[in-house]
Amino acid sequence: MNSGLVKGGIADVKQVARGWRWGRRPQVPRSAEQWVPANKSTVFRSEWSRRRPAIAAREVVQKVGLEPLFRSQVRAKVEGLDVLDRVEGPVIFVANHASHLDTPLILLSLPDEWRRRTAVAAAADYFFDTWWRAVGSVLLFNTFPIDRRGGVMAATPGEVLADGWSLVIFPEGTRSTDGWMGKFRMGAAFLAKEYGVPVVPVAHRGTFAAMPRGQNWPARGRRQLTIRFGEPLVAGPDESVREFAPRIKDAVASLLDEDKSTWWDAKRRAASGTTPDPTGPQVAQWRRVWEQTESPAADAPSRKLTAWRR
Amino acid sequence: MSRPGFVLEVDDRTPPLIVHEGLGFRLESFPLGTRVIYPPESLPAVPDVDQAIRDALLHPQDMDPLPELLFAGMKLTIAFDDISLPLPTMRPPDIRGRIIEHVLTMAAEAGVDDVELIAANALHRRMTAAELKHIVGERVFRSFYPQGKLYNFDAEDRDNLSHLGTTEKGEDIEISKRAAESDLLVYVNVNLVAMDGGHKSVGIGLASYKSLRHHHNAKTMVQSRSFMDHKHSAMHHSAWRIGRVIKDTVKVFQIETTLNNDIFPKPYDFLQKREWEWSLKDQASMLAMRRGLSVAPPKLKHKMFHDLRSVYGLTGVNAGEVEAVHAKTLEKVHEQHLVEVQGQSDVLVMGIPYVGPYNVNSSLNPILATCMGLGYYFNSYLGQPVVRKGGAVILYHPLNEGFNQLHHPSYVDFYEEVLAESTDPAVVGEKYEQQFAEDPWYRHLYRTSHAYHGVHPFYMWYWAAHAMDHVDEVIWVGADRKVAARLGFRAATTLADALEMASGTVGSSPSITYLHNPPHLLAHVK
Repeated sequence: MNSGLVKGGIADVKQVARGWRWGRRPQVPRSAEQWVPANKSTVFRSEWSRRRPAIAAREVVQKVGLEPLFRSQVRAKVEGLDVLDRVEGPVIFVANHASHLDTPLILLSLPDEWRRRTAVAAAADYFFDTWWRAVGSVLLFNTFPIDRRGGVMAATPGEVLADGWSLVIFPEGTRSTDGWMGKFRMGAAFLAKEYGVPVVPVAHRGTFAAMPRGQNWPARGRRQLTIRFGEPLVAGPDESVREFAPRIKDAVASLLDEDKSTWWDAKRRAASGTTPDPTGPQVAQWRRVWEQTESPAADAPSRKLTAWRR
Repeated sequence: MSRPGFVLEVDDRTPPLIVHEGLGFRLESFPLGTRVIYPPESLPAVPDVDQAIRDALLHPQDMDPLPELLFAGMKLTIAFDDISLPLPTMRPPDIRGRIIEHVLTMAAEAGVDDVELIAANALHRRMTAAELKHIVGERVFRSFYPQGKLYNFDAEDRDNLSHLGTTEKGEDIEISKRAAESDLLVYVNVNLVAMDGGHKSVGIGLASYKSLRHHHNAKTMVQSRSFMDHKHSAMHHSAWRIGRVIKDTVKVFQIETTLNNDIFPKPYDFLQKREWEWSLKDQASMLAMRRGLSVAPPKLKHKMFHDLRSVYGLTGVNAGEVEAVHAKTLEKVHEQHLVEVQGQSDVLVMGIPYVGPYNVNSSLNPILATCMGLGYYFNSYLGQPVVRKGGAVILYHPLNEGFNQLHHPSYVDFYEEVLAESTDPAVVGEKYEQQFAEDPWYRHLYRTSHAYHGVHPFYMWYWAAHAMDHVDEVIWVGADRKVAARLGFRAATTLADALEMASGTVGSSPSITYLHNPPHLLAHVK
């Protein structure tokens, strides 16, 4: 074999792999962004993902693949799961969104019987733009596509709810760029009101520190994540979606506060209306990011006590 | 909907970009901040070509419909652009053939018997029968070629040239006698780029050396800024003067066509996509092609590229009075090629592809490569050159294709003898042009073989005169050093080396612009 041919070939492949970001999302040069053609939304049907064979396959993928991998990379502290004993499914889990770790964190924190009946709303333009990404995210996370820009989808979240599946919805619509919470959209509140299902607020911290936007693997050192499930919220009979949505956001904010301090302190602050703003302080961007890059402290020691080591 | 052309600014997200270099291409990572000019995407083609041609012939600009100009007993001559257009060659059927068929159908209906078809090749090489057949189509070829009524123009056939007088500036007008004495001269062109067409078609395509020397010289070319902008091109001004005199003698019915930018057919279509939009398939095609080219012997590489036939779509066809038609044509050409660029830069980078107007089915020798880079590509501007006065030009081409002895015999002597003495277009023109133009052996080869006229290499060198006058440094990346030196330039191995070499002229952090060409573009530099 001609060694020049092989060497040249390897160099070419390396150059292309680097230039075209194999294994990662392609990027468009900034000055060319305005010329990117509008994406034709290809809708991949996802009903199959909620049928028996897919559920069985997902169980194996999540239990044998995802969970051990997840636990090997990060540590998670889960609180407040007892709320699930007090509600009947389906529910809508509403959480803040800072990282691709959020979805596995929420799913793997849920008790198995809940996890198996929970689907995740995922951006159609991001997770369903190619067949292999669609199949991958469906098998791994039980996602179904929703259109962030408003459009018709193959399966509406309503249908999924009506079939008895709980939903995970990130009302911010996208991952935070600095770890702080963004604006909540109305979708989750609307669905809860429309289908009469309770909303379980979920707050988590540490995922931004462990794997922010732009990173595709958790940082080294098994970062600490914390997740807290709050009391279910039900829209009152006369409560409009516009009134209900802020209530959900406040509940998530209060949970974040509780996670940082204590239940009692957070309760008192919530009562007096002094819950810290979850969108973060209005300071220089670097300070906002800086604060969020710190992983939350765990109550439990991170490893076995040294005294027990030989 | 096709997207307009635009200027990319290379940033950390920009993948390596395609740069053509002869019978191959490379992926180049340009310094951050480099401007890259991308041509507009292909315009949509007209839905019904035959209907468009009929419309143009029946509703011409400032002239009577063609059927009204045809009558029994008349002398009709149809001239057409030669093989130098379009580039690369069009996949059959060639648009010229389709138009000629329509014209001949109308001529047959009008009872015209005396028809001749002349390839307007001026001092270009005679085309072979197969090449003629490709252009006019089998039907026309079979009807006219065996009878000798379809032929290449011979600019050295004294008996068949006609001197129509001189312009107000004393320029001789000597064109094909048959064309000059016809009752109607129909000219069918392919207006691939903005320099083509207009009065250049008849006034240059069917003219002899005596006529051409008035504008094909170093002095005129330096004043043609650029020759892609006929309003600011001394060469075109001269052609226009000549054309207006011809118009007084001969009735010219000009038919001009414009093509879109669909140059590379599958599987080479990745070459005309914007790199960051390459699919995995495009990347794989590119890698496969690169590997194939790296092991292919030169002959096979040549065949791979030169057998490529473009799948152009017709974007417009206009017929009638030359100047009115050309104005319409230019609108379409500009729509397809024009890109607005803000300001000049210190360095202009261009990749020279495998083919130019004068090496179709032949090799791109160093003189033609220079003409492509410093001639055609450098002049692809309106307003002012993309590179500033005193800047540097970096070209990509190996300059290793040698000379085709059949097509370019006088080029060999020009390279070996003339360039060895001087590379200044004005000096070599003054001293040697006449001698090459009148050399009996070159004349013989031009008339009987398939050789470019003896004077043709000089024209190529004049084509580059404006660029040589404008920039201080020309560096060829990946070129044979000896050849580059003979041409009066320098060679570098990589872009980084070339920029290092140019730093003496433009400093160590120059502004750089890369013309992402082909497909064709025309930079409107403000």
